[in-house]
Amino acid sequence: MELVVGVDVGNSTTEACLARVGDGAVTLLATALTRTTGVKGTPKNADGAVTAVRAALERAGVTPDALHRVLLNEATPVISGLAMETITETIITESTMIGHNPATPGGTGIGVGVTVAIGDVGDIADGPEGPVVVVVPPGWDFDDVAATLNAAVDTGVDLTAAILAGDDAVLVTNRLTRKVPVVDEVAAVEKVPLGMLSAVEVAPPGRTIRTLSNSYGLATVFGLDPQQTRQVAPVARALTGNRSAVVVRTPTGDVTDRRIPVGELTLRGEARTVRVDVDAGAEAIMDALARAQPLVDATGEPGTHVGGMLAQVRDTMTDITGQPASEIAIRDVLAVDTMVPAEVRGGLAGEVALENAVALAAMVRTDRSRMQAVADRVADELGTSAAVGGIEGAMAALGALTTPGVERPVAVLDLGGGSTDAALLDRDGACVAMHVAGAGELVTKLIDAELALDNRETAEHVKRHPLAKVESFYHLRHEDGTVQFVQEPLPPQVFARVVTLGADGPAPVPTRLNLDAIRRVRRKAKRRVFVVNALRALRQVAPRGDLRALDFVVLLGGSALDFEVPDMLADALAPFGVVCGTGNVHGTEGPRNAVASGLVMAYSEAAP
Amino acid sequence: MSSPTGPTSTAERTLRLRDIGPARRGTRPDEVVIALSPAFAGIFSKTIVEVPHAEVLRQLLAGIEEQGVTARVIQVHDTADLAAISHLGARLSGSGISVGVLSRGTTMIHQRDLARLSNLELFPQSPLLDAPVFRQIGSNAARYAKGESPEPVPTRNDQMARPRWQAKAALLHLKEFETIEAGRGPVEVELDFELSSAG
Repeated sequence: MELVVGVDVGNSTTEACLARVGDGAVTLLATALTRTTGVKGTPKNADGAVTAVRAALERAGVTPDALHRVLLNEATPVISGLAMETITETIITESTMIGHNPATPGGTGIGVGVTVAIGDVGDIADGPEGPVVVVVPPGWDFDDVAATLNAAVDTGVDLTAAILAGDDAVLVTNRLTRKVPVVDEVAAVEKVPLGMLSAVEVAPPGRTIRTLSNSYGLATVFGLDPQQTRQVAPVARALTGNRSAVVVRTPTGDVTDRRIPVGELTLRGEARTVRVDVDAGAEAIMDALARAQPLVDATGEPGTHVGGMLAQVRDTMTDITGQPASEIAIRDVLAVDTMVPAEVRGGLAGEVALENAVALAAMVRTDRSRMQAVADRVADELGTSAAVGGIEGAMAALGALTTPGVERPVAVLDLGGGSTDAALLDRDGACVAMHVAGAGELVTKLIDAELALDNRETAEHVKRHPLAKVESFYHLRHEDGTVQFVQEPLPPQVFARVVTLGADGPAPVPTRLNLDAIRRVRRKAKRRVFVVNALRALRQVAPRGDLRALDFVVLLGGSALDFEVPDMLADALAPFGVVCGTGNVHGTEGPRNAVASGLVMAYSEAAP
Repeated sequence: MSSPTGPTSTAERTLRLRDIGPARRGTRPDEVVIALSPAFAGIFSKTIVEVPHAEVLRQLLAGIEEQGVTARVIQVHDTADLAAISHLGARLSGSGISVGVLSRGTTMIHQRDLARLSNLELFPQSPLLDAPVFRQIGSNAARYAKGESPEPVPTRNDQMARPRWQAKAALLHLKEFETIEAGRGPVEVELDFELSSAG
């Protein structure tokens, strides 16, 4: 009988599995889990490994000198990097359009007239020149605005609408004798061209504008010919879904939706090389990748955004592995289309448009894993022998076999932080392993960008935990609509907010979006990364690339603990007749400890 | 565009509070209660940095009105403690939301289910509160009443505010403290804004 411990150094956690091995039987004694020290595959890992081994020994009540051997995994030879680039932008020229959505516009309806500064309204009273739209700069008090406008109307000015700098629309409309639509919070109101024909539209609460968001509505309002109507179509489209809007007719004013040239991605495969424009979107990139498979390297056109994106990935790899950038070959990419809110160029009120962006995850193979150095240091510290052995994928599959209800052939899907790894262990014990780029980190990045959080920590919370809306200090509504009452009042900083329900209690999500919108973004990000990658990776290990040939798929890794990813994957794999679920190593450990356990099992099988 | 030429009406208004009877608990879910300290618009007429009380109330009311919410103003006579004033206001408010204001300007947004010494938003440095901040406070209070999730009003912080204003704040507090009438319940008030000819 021998006492051995398997140690798995992962990207974020180090796991240990202590067992007694002999006569082909393995008796589990204890497991332990600690944070990985240093970057995976570097000598610093030894500290974390020793801590994990000591913890397992202590739990089992065994002294270190009884230990026969420490088994370390051969770290997966892949590292991944991420980059994201916006590929469209919206530009407003000559301040022709105000399409922001102030929370509280005033009045309802549409007003068309010539723009006039409020300071000049008194002067036009003598000779009314038709309908006017009054423009009010910052610094004007709402009582004064209302008084000035009422006085002007009394002297015969045909007031049809107003555009305000401050947040005063409701206040002003409440005080007007003639109710007109008022749009407010236009920060750069001084840029509104004066003396031009313009239209202001405000829809009733809960509705959206109907005239200015319709190309023919704009043509009617401004008397446009078919050629001009074609030109204003982008304006109408940009205003769709708004509750209020202003359109000013200037000689050459325009709203354009421009594609930013981001450069060409060159995918060098074993058989052929394929080039693809990144601004063609994720689908085109993934199509090109499929044609280039198996990938040898990917490069971006120098001097373009995509060149920069890949250079960034290579730089990170160089930092981690110490390999020169020229030796680093990108072996897989995952492109994901996303929508990122960005401020509109030329906008007058900080308008935000959803722009298209492409996120790229790239994976690099490294041959300089320094696990042997880690093993030597661990052996030193514990006064025992240590060995590196076993391909991580095969070990994970062996460990996964201890899950109740699983038999060979079994496929494991390790949902990690940087890469998604699949391995298939067949009846004869042969194993194929595959790694594809993109996993948990990419999901976090997509959530961060799409919600414009600009905070990785918060995005991580949104990814990991279900949402709820705090409706009072004593109750909250979960994302499925159920209400939960609490005995102790909730903390004031979460009052009336959308929160994530983590282990540390509710934490507010700082965004104007409502719960449903946040939930949609979260689920979409997970589906586009995990479901796409799971199918991609499993196809590569499945016999003849046929998912129907798989019987059991066991989910492992940190993201297998996610509250919805396993369900999404099970749903996606169900049509192929595959049994898919989260692993439960030894029937007790959940999706954790598979590799560490696999190391012990492999040792036991190899031992005489 | 020409620079603002409108009259700066802010300096010209004075405010008188008229008692119209004991303050009752509101039933409308769309109201915010503004609770004033004993000496507000009484022996004092402006805050520690000389923002007129008329302007403080006008901006708070404007912030609430812009959100389409109604406001009710009460004055508390038996305490000059901001937490106590605000919490009392919150308990009388139909929506459960109140804004409490001291004569020197210190302000708090409170909610009736909270512990008295807690709050939704507190603006402790009275010397840093000006008209635009009072507008935002009114606006946020109204949005809480509507069940929305407003971003908290950015609180400014000035290291020098304490040494510079502490003595004056203490004097103002003592003065306000002297106007406390123990045992007198909160009263509902009507506001009379008057345009003074002084300019």
